Amino acid sequence: MPLWEKRRSALILTGLVVFHGLIISIQMPQGGAKSYFERGIFFVYSPVQRLATGAVRGVVALWTNYFDLRAVRRENVELKRQNFFYSQDVRFLEDRLSLAASEAELRESLAAFEGAIVAARTIGVDSVNPHQSIIIDKGSLDGIAANMAVCDRKGALVGRTIDPVGLKETMVQLVTDKDSRVSVRSTVDQLTGSMTGLSRDVCELRYVLASAGGGQEGEELRTTGYDKIYPAGIRVGVIQSLVRDQKSPIFLKILVKPFFGFDTVDVVAVLTRGPGGGG
Amino acid sequence: MRETVLKDVLQAFLGTLVAVVVYSIAGAGAPALLVVFNAFSVVVLYFSIRRGEVFGAVLGTMCGLVQDAFSLGVFGVAGLTKTLLGFWTGFVSRRIDVVPFTRNALFMLVMSVLEMILWLLLTVLVRPRSINLQGGLVFLQPVVTALLGSLLFALERWTRARRARGA
Repeated sequence: MPLWEKRRSALILTGLVVFHGLIISIQMPQGGAKSYFERGIFFVYSPVQRLATGAVRGVVALWTNYFDLRAVRRENVELKRQNFFYSQDVRFLEDRLSLAASEAELRESLAAFEGAIVAARTIGVDSVNPHQSIIIDKGSLDGIAANMAVCDRKGALVGRTIDPVGLKETMVQLVTDKDSRVSVRSTVDQLTGSMTGLSRDVCELRYVLASAGGGQEGEELRTTGYDKIYPAGIRVGVIQSLVRDQKSPIFLKILVKPFFGFDTVDVVAVLTRGPGGGG
Repeated sequence: MRETVLKDVLQAFLGTLVAVVVYSIAGAGAPALLVVFNAFSVVVLYFSIRRGEVFGAVLGTMCGLVQDAFSLGVFGVAGLTKTLLGFWTGFVSRRIDVVPFTRNALFMLVMSVLEMILWLLLTVLVRPRSINLQGGLVFLQPVVTALLGSLLFALERWTRARRARGA
């Protein structure tokens, strides 16, 4: 009997282990682009994910539209109430805008945003840790590229698009991911620092000097635009706690609660003309 | 011979599709559930016990690499752990009786715990910063995996018994 027949299982296992050892080792040092092999797997299986999620959404929609009309009625009442307040807001803002800018200036500023937003649905979350990444149902065919800012349906920052960008699917790195960095500033005391994720539902604001002073729990943080990926002024989250860092006493240890949650990322907006610009 | 290998690969591909569908449905329903539920591990365990070590290793490779492709971790870590999980599950299950429910659940629990230990060790070795135990919730994953895997077998046995009674 040939060796292959005798030791078939062991040889296959050895081959597979060596194969994995190779694909892990070629990624060292870390930070390199995703391999064609990894992208290929993503391209093959992401449409399956899209179909499965679509099926679940279909069942949920069927339930919501046909069987749970009471919830629709309740939502309708709530929407009417919200609509009332929104129209008041719009009137107020119109008054302010007419005072602040001429009509031409207004048109010019609005033109910059025209066609710059691509709405997308979330079709999947990270398979290992849901706080790391999500997958959306828009890709290069819709004008999406890597490094575009992504916001939730309430306008709060969710993250940025990263490779792999498929034809109709894209991966989004969440701001809660450990490797994510966002330059942010607090709205009241102007504390500026780099917000990084902790791969759970809170983030950390780093490099804020203890001598800076100010800053309080509940204070809102917005993007600064310094990182050249996220446009300035996007709402990010609020300061959850603020103490002097025990390890590096010259800095503050600030925990941030992001505004976005899994309940607000079913639909997201990709900003295709931000400073990241899909570079 | 070649036909068998091709058939195995094709069936492993179909098994992976099943895992992707289950993972997607779980993610669409409750994203936080994915911390304690790993659809890829359940599929690898289930089919490895049914089909043996070679099929288990091939399916483990496919499922693991797909899991890596849908995550930001190092590509290949889950691939390697699931390859070993599939192989050893298939290998051991051919040598001991894992048919009774409790023994089946215990066997799957042991294999899942070993997989988790290996995954943690590899991640610590390759990319220590990326480990997050989600406040210990991640350690529930082997328990959930073992429970679901053995329930699948129990369901299969129950269906077969019903069909036999009907025939």
